[in-house]
Amino acid sequence: MEAAEDFGPWLARQLRNAGKTQTDLAEELGMTRAAVSAWIVGRSVPRDETIRRIAEVLKTDLETIHTRSVDAQAGLPVSWYHRPAHADGGREYGNAAAFAFEADVSVLAREATQNSLDARLDRTKAVRVRYTLHELTGEALARFREAVDWEQLLPHYQALTSDHGKQGKVSRTIAAGLRDMYQRDRLVLLRVDDYNATGLTGGDYDDGLFAAVVRRQLDSHKTDAGAGGSYGLGKATLWATSRLGLVLINSTLSEPHEGRTERRLIGRLDLPWHEVDGRRFAGPAWFGRPDPDAASTDVARSWWADEATVEKLYLTRESAAPGTSFLIVGAHDVASLAPVTGSVDEGEGAEDDDSVHRMHARLVDALGRNFWAAMTSGGDHEPHLKASVCTYRNGEVLIAEERVDPAVTQPSRTRALRAFLEGDTVDRLTTPGQVARATVRLNVPLHGGQVRGGVPHEAVLLVTHAEDADGPPNRLVSMRGNRMTVKDSAVTNVPIGTNPFQAVLLAGRAAGRDAPGAEAAEEFLRASEPPEHNKWGRTEELRLTYSPSAYRRIAALTTAANNSVRDLVAVPRAKRRSGGEARIAGRLKVGGSTKKARPTRAAALPELDNVDALIDTSGAWSVTVDLRVSAGVDTDRPVTPVAKFDVRSGPRPAAFWKELVAVSGCEVVDGALHLTPGSRKAVFRGVTDVSRHPVRAQLSGLVVELRIGKGEQA
Amino acid sequence: MKVYPYRRLTGNVSWRVESAQLKVEGEPWEDVETKYVSTVERVVALGPDEDRPDWNQARLRLSAGLPAKAVDAAGPWQDVKVIAVLTERATNSRTAVELSPVSDDGRERTGELYIHRCDLLDRASLAVHVVATVDHVPGRVIATSDVEWFVDVIEAAPSLARELDVKLIGFASGASRLQRFKDSPWLVDTTGRIPAVRVNTDFDGLGDLVGADGGNGAEKTVRELLLAQMCSEVWTAVFHSAVGDLEIEEDGTPLFPHGWQGEVLREMLPDIYPDREPEGALREVHAARTGASATGWGELQPRIHFAASRRAGVPRTLSTTIRDLERLTQGNDA
Repeated sequence: MEAAEDFGPWLARQLRNAGKTQTDLAEELGMTRAAVSAWIVGRSVPRDETIRRIAEVLKTDLETIHTRSVDAQAGLPVSWYHRPAHADGGREYGNAAAFAFEADVSVLAREATQNSLDARLDRTKAVRVRYTLHELTGEALARFREAVDWEQLLPHYQALTSDHGKQGKVSRTIAAGLRDMYQRDRLVLLRVDDYNATGLTGGDYDDGLFAAVVRRQLDSHKTDAGAGGSYGLGKATLWATSRLGLVLINSTLSEPHEGRTERRLIGRLDLPWHEVDGRRFAGPAWFGRPDPDAASTDVARSWWADEATVEKLYLTRESAAPGTSFLIVGAHDVASLAPVTGSVDEGEGAEDDDSVHRMHARLVDALGRNFWAAMTSGGDHEPHLKASVCTYRNGEVLIAEERVDPAVTQPSRTRALRAFLEGDTVDRLTTPGQVARATVRLNVPLHGGQVRGGVPHEAVLLVTHAEDADGPPNRLVSMRGNRMTVKDSAVTNVPIGTNPFQAVLLAGRAAGRDAPGAEAAEEFLRASEPPEHNKWGRTEELRLTYSPSAYRRIAALTTAANNSVRDLVAVPRAKRRSGGEARIAGRLKVGGSTKKARPTRAAALPELDNVDALIDTSGAWSVTVDLRVSAGVDTDRPVTPVAKFDVRSGPRPAAFWKELVAVSGCEVVDGALHLTPGSRKAVFRGVTDVSRHPVRAQLSGLVVELRIGKGEQA
Repeated sequence: MKVYPYRRLTGNVSWRVESAQLKVEGEPWEDVETKYVSTVERVVALGPDEDRPDWNQARLRLSAGLPAKAVDAAGPWQDVKVIAVLTERATNSRTAVELSPVSDDGRERTGELYIHRCDLLDRASLAVHVVATVDHVPGRVIATSDVEWFVDVIEAAPSLARELDVKLIGFASGASRLQRFKDSPWLVDTTGRIPAVRVNTDFDGLGDLVGADGGNGAEKTVRELLLAQMCSEVWTAVFHSAVGDLEIEEDGTPLFPHGWQGEVLREMLPDIYPDREPEGALREVHAARTGASATGWGELQPRIHFAASRRAGVPRTLSTTIRDLERLTQGNDA
């Protein structure tokens, strides 16, 4: 059987975990210290009999020693380590990076998924992202609290909330989170998994992804110019989304660390400065195994957990594929608070807006909106990303796994990108459903403050007809290599009457790796993105790396893209007329005005409510008409019912009454109706005079109208 | 309210122009870009444009969708057909084409309508009717879509609204019919396809005044006022012209004319009789004009004047002008 790790380093770690020295072990085994030392450096291997006794000393079984895939559990128990306050008395009342974003699940989805995309391992396959919401109540909640050693954490939370959150914004959020958990006996966990990603590789403290995510701020550890993130801020959204500032992590590594890959666990808690039992703490805390090698023995490091622990912490991954699971404890959603629909009378604690149903819907929406391009495949291009969302309540499926399908959330934009990937674009749009492709040039500036010159880049512009599901039409969405929507802006100066469209600008690597200047443009545009990655504009980095005026090249790109879109979708205003003629003609337009239905002040006439008509045996129209008489109608003035034959155009021949009978609410005098004052309804019956029909009644429709006054008709 | 001696189809018949193609004699069909086929304005603009050939035949691809009950074999309608009809009143042309089923249930229909350029003068309207056999009577119209498209062979941009024909020309040196008006700054002619406005560039400085962009404060103020005045006169003239030649039914009911005359009336009548439905207002105006009512033609003039100046934006422009004037004179005093 192949062991996961060499015996020497494994034994050394087990001794550290158990707090034993080599001498201690030698004494317990009745052997010399030199023998133990020889095993540890790998100079020799103990005999089977000795191994059996080592297992007894370490309180583990032979299997563990042989496979060495997990640690012997004899070591120090997993616990919380709180960073002591700074020696100089400085205090941090929270993590500033968390305030760079809104605590909003759609921002979280954007940032976390971007990190997953950047960590994609096998570039020929999609990275799979899965968002899982767990709502815990009652027993399940109690068990989870036990698993995270809640009793140990509680004094720290209480220290922060004892003065009702006067310590600052973060404390108030935490207080609200605790209140929600205790009063409503409910906790929402949001888990973000990725598969086919690198996982949190590297040592606990050295440079590497693990340290970048778990221990450091503003370290993006992204070296690829095509990466979406660049600031190292996005991970803060994980903690910002947790009301309790608590995130647990389980990672499967793509490269072994300490000889292992699966179930590397650590928890991190982000609290403001606080004081417990006279001891002062800086804020951050880690949930892990105390590290005997660290300068202070209680520093917690990641540990290799067994399957049972992972299960209890809701961190079980569905396969051994590398990637990371983040479990956000006490997830909440600020933005969904805005449209309040729930009852308000439950007092301030009533936050039904954090309902998992709503969060589920918002996650699906955010993933579709931001990553439709990364999820689009076409031709021999695999999608970069596959995403899904599912929701559980106390372990029972509440909303089944829902795959985010870009063709559903963004049909026309997805169609545009797919046509580009499949090489199925046209130059000009001539039928609905086509995708037009145009080239937009960007002159990428050179490094080092040079104002002139540059690398020409040909970005790809796609235009297609808008579908309703895409949201507001006539917009231009821009992106680069990571295929995440960076900019979403309205195309300006689109004439009235233009067919609704959607446009996509693919710049940098998104335009295809062999597009001219793709690499240079990718780097340039990445440098021009602010932390939110929601526009291309002036950034400090742009100014330093390129030149203070470099952002103007982006403005030129935007203008060129807008012009190209307009050229594809709109007919330019006639240039042939002089300014004066155009100016006058612009004021003299007939037709097409948005018909402002001017409400008539009061209906001067009774309205026709219903007409029942049939042709009687003699061939005459017999109609029964219901009138609605509104309060404003002047009942002193008689009204005349008029019937006409409906013809396609021109004057309609009249159908004369042979008989006009009042049924209710009116009287007939000389062919006119006199309405009964105060009556709101009137009914009359009429029969036309067959002898004066110009056509047979069977062959034409009949129009019935009312006129004021006594009729002119005979 | 209309009633029919047979069962009609209720519910919406949706249809649209999908695409258009043009043909020059002896050359293959050429696609028209969708930007000339506006689904928003419902106008197909086939007028001359820079890179458009001088076509003599066009074809439109049409598609329509019927409500399910229309094709229900057990329903009251048999042999249901969808017919698209292109009509232009000016030329009295009428072209019809049947849309044939493309889906198994027979609800989706498509067809191609061929148009000859020489058949049309200006702007033709395209409507869709559903025709069926009802109670053994074939060919009854059971529904007409309330959506109407226009095929415009004059304009290059698809727009429902039409601009009047405005030209800056010298009257003295122009056509002889203009020469007798050489002292007039502008002229409105409502006899054509669409009302024409001629601005006299021989009138000293007028061409420069209306043609200039920007200019100093005083110039701009005067220009705005002048344009408002001109538009007010134009609207008065076109209203009179539109109301002067109405078709009258047997019982004396005036009908809304087609084309620009109808549009002008519908747009201006609500300002002339704000408390009437457009039909009632038209009847009132017609009665006043023909002397059939107590309200004389003379008494109607202030209402027309009000509607025209309001439409031309005279009150707004005037108050701006007065404000600007105060500012200008203050500037002089300082």
